[in-house]
Amino acid sequence: MVATKNKSLQQFDTDDPDRIQDLGWTFKEVWRRTRGLVVTTLNLITFFILWEVFTIYGDINPLFLPKASDMFAELWVGLTTRAPEGAVFSGSILDHFLHSFNNLMFGLAIACLIGIPGGLLMGGNKYIEAILSPYVWALASLPRIALVPLFILFLGFTTTMQVTIIVISAVFPIMINAWAGVKTTEKSLLAAARVFGANRRQLYVKVVLPYTLPFIISGIQQGIGRGLIGVVIAELFGGSNGLGFLIQRSADTFNTAMTFAVLLLLIVMSLSLINFTRWLEAYVAPWRNVNHL
Amino acid sequence: MNNKNPIIVANDLTIAYELHRERKKLVALQDISLEVAPGEFVVLVGPSGCGKTSFINAISGLVPKASGSVTVRGQEVTGPGPDRAMVFQDYALLPWRTVESNVRMPFEFQDLGISDDEKARRVKECLSLVDLTGFEKSFPYELSGGMKQRVGIARALITHPDILLADEPFAAIDAMTREAMQAEMERIVMETGQTCVFITHSIDEAILLGDRVVVISYRPGKVKEIVNVNFPRPRMSNSEVKTSKEYAQLRDHIWNLVKDEASQTNRGE
Repeated sequence: MVATKNKSLQQFDTDDPDRIQDLGWTFKEVWRRTRGLVVTTLNLITFFILWEVFTIYGDINPLFLPKASDMFAELWVGLTTRAPEGAVFSGSILDHFLHSFNNLMFGLAIACLIGIPGGLLMGGNKYIEAILSPYVWALASLPRIALVPLFILFLGFTTTMQVTIIVISAVFPIMINAWAGVKTTEKSLLAAARVFGANRRQLYVKVVLPYTLPFIISGIQQGIGRGLIGVVIAELFGGSNGLGFLIQRSADTFNTAMTFAVLLLLIVMSLSLINFTRWLEAYVAPWRNVNHL
Repeated sequence: MNNKNPIIVANDLTIAYELHRERKKLVALQDISLEVAPGEFVVLVGPSGCGKTSFINAISGLVPKASGSVTVRGQEVTGPGPDRAMVFQDYALLPWRTVESNVRMPFEFQDLGISDDEKARRVKECLSLVDLTGFEKSFPYELSGGMKQRVGIARALITHPDILLADEPFAAIDAMTREAMQAEMERIVMETGQTCVFITHSIDEAILLGDRVVVISYRPGKVKEIVNVNFPRPRMSNSEVKTSKEYAQLRDHIWNLVKDEASQTNRGE
């Protein structure tokens, strides 16, 4: 993006050679670019130090609030060890993280495979829309957690059940966004394409689909949030795998440091995934000028 | 003016829309008859909602007509075609495409039997015609309003259409840029000899650009009066045109015609 911008700037025919000046790498410029990162890092370090001090001198029962250092130690050990061969269930955070992460990715992939074509079809054909929309709205508005007992009944305490819950959580935001993207495609873009000779297929491929792409990405972004809820819920309810199970297990065994470590890992995972889709959205659709929160 | 072999003929053209929510049928245009000669610049003025856009869309083939006929070179209009191109008020550029790719768009949708070399040459030609050489790789969101509309004009000219349709192309552009764009439009039309049907709300724009100004009445839209404008071209660069007595009279005359109709708009809504 930057390259194109610079190029078009250079192509301005100007008599004044100083019109565009190179800012260079002055201290001010370096600070301008890195201050966000520096401030956030200092902010977090301060937060964890205060936490540590509070738990050491505040006479806090570590059962309720462990020391920050204990949480990090637990996280480090948990991420660097694997369960021994033949263990009934693992106490390693890494094992459970991989289980949850793989489930989430697999569930999101299936949700995309169902949601994207489903949404596109609903947006593109009013009969399909009329037939499907009551079911989509019904399932989208139902709190997904209410379905968990039913899926446990159908599928047992299995990975299939966990993935199913992730899919049912993530599919609707993706479908509804794709649907909305098609429906809100700017009329003037369609009119322009038609005036210049586009047939129905070309209208979809060259106008509607590119227009809908950023909508689909923001649908996936919402799907990740919902999917993570699905992951944790499914694992809290049933199974002996995953971060949700580990939260439950560590709390039951009074290993609060482990509970906090897993929560921290969930936050980091969720933020990373959401930031990735934000970046992707800004990358594929720079004209939308997405707000960077 | 050569009215013997008109390029566009509208004969008792009526366009109606069905308003399903109100269970009504709205007649946007009623019994419009108009002939446009090749190379002529016809400007339509009239109050908002009077059906100017419907008329232009009927020529482009975007909206079906209720009765009557529109022909282009004697052929009944049944849909869009490469002999007609359009410039839109909101530019209607595809935001994910570069300037060059937007201008090239009409070639992708229709096979005009043009070689790739010729296509590349025309893209270059049209971009230089609208003074955008050097911005081929820019994206529309990086351009100002005036530049975006110049991309829109280049795109419309790329197929060398017989007829250029423009629906309030400069309405969203600031006043200073608009004057420059009007001068550019006049220059382009003089250079290419394009037939042009142009909609505007600005009476000055109508007089400065049009060979004829067609005043359309409010609901149902009918031709109220056709005013001939006989100033020599180029008019935009000639300061005597705007300060002349005839200009002021013409302006007054058209304004009075439009004013009556505009006051009906207020009553009607």
